[in-house]
Parts: sequence; C-alpha cells; structure tokens
Amino acid sequence: MTPDDVKLRNDTYQLFVDLGRAPSAGEVSAATTSTPSEVLDGWQRLHLEHALVLNRSGSEIRMANPFSAVPTAYRVRTGGRWWYANCAWDAFGICAALHSDGRIEASCPDCGDPLAVTVRDGRPDVTSLVFHCLVPAAQWWEDIVFT
Amino acid sequence: MNLFRSEAHVDRWLGGRLPGATLPVMKLSELAHSWWDDRLSPQWTPHARDHNQAILQRLGLVDRFWQLGK
Repeated sequence: MTPDDVKLRNDTYQLFVDLGRAPSAGEVSAATTSTPSEVLDGWQRLHLEHALVLNRSGSEIRMANPFSAVPTAYRVRTGGRWWYANCAWDAFGICAALHSDGRIEASCPDCGDPLAVTVRDGRPDVTSLVFHCLVPAAQWWEDIVFT
Repeated sequence: MNLFRSEAHVDRWLGGRLPGATLPVMKLSELAHSWWDDRLSPQWTPHARDHNQAILQRLGLVDRFWQLGK
C-alpha cells in the first residue's frame, strides 16, 4: 500500500467518524486534494488490499471495518451516536476504535431475544453470552460480507 | 460472526452444520480491542498478516481455525 493510499484510507475513516456515516467519493474529494475519480480509483486499490470494502458497483463504501455503511443487526451507541457494526466482533471493535465506552444492541440469531451489552473500559458487563465464528480465518476474505 | 445467548443457542442455530469457533464474550471483547484499537489513529498503517496472527496467538487462539490466509 502506497503512502498516498494509506493517507486516503485514513482521511476516509476520519470523515466516516466525523459524519457518522460513510462518506461519498465527492465528500472525500472535497476534504482532500484528490478528485472524485482519484478517490474512487484509490478506494478500489484499498478494497483489493482489504483496507475497506466497496459495494458491488465499486462506487460506495460498504464497510470501513469495524463500521458498516449499511444497517445491520449490530448497533452500537457510543460517543453520542448510533453506529452499525458488520458483526459481533466489529461491534466491540467500534468501542475499541473510538476508545470509548458503549452499548451494543443485537438479537440472538437462534431465538431472536434482544441482547444488550454495555462495554466499559473495554470490558462487557454481561459475561454469559458467547461469540460464534462460523468461517475459518483463512477463508474470511473469500466473502467478507458473509463472514 | 454472531453473538448468542449461550452455547446451547449456537448448537440449535447450527442445526447440524459444522461448528466454527465459539468464544466467551469476554474473550471477544479482548480480541476486538486488540484488533481494532488503532483503526482511527492518524498514524495507522496496514497490519501485516504476522501482526494479526500474533494478536490471535496472544489470546490463545492458536488452532488451525484461527490461522489467517496468506
């Protein structure tokens, strides 16, 4: 990954946090010295490097892990905002990335009962829950949306 | 990558499919904080595979399931 692509990635993530949602290529362009076309080309390279995930058309951000650009079953309240996480791991990851306490809301995929976890100083207040990862690590990026 | 009420709920949800890996939520939180801690740092640089594998290893996630792809 080139230094310019690392900078584009970091600028994109910062704008995601500032806006509270995924930025468009135009918004990243306006905040940097790159044209929208250069932003899209850079995002494509970052997608191939697994530094972010684009939608099928390659024109919008789908994931800036741990953040999700689209609604999911994992919501996180922290820093005065609600965020969507890509999965349970990423839900805790949002608190970690923002260095803040938070509240995670989801539902059990088996029974549908609501689950709520408060994370304080990196520790969940509920210890009875379990995390299940179905896909082996070596295959995570074969279909990262499914993973 | 989902959160469940208990291992019994995982088993029922799998419905005969091969299980993956199940961790206590405390371990998940440790993992997430080690993995994502630097993602918004202005000095962020890409994690090498070995870096990420070391995070997993430090948390005792050493079996084949947790071996990252090349």
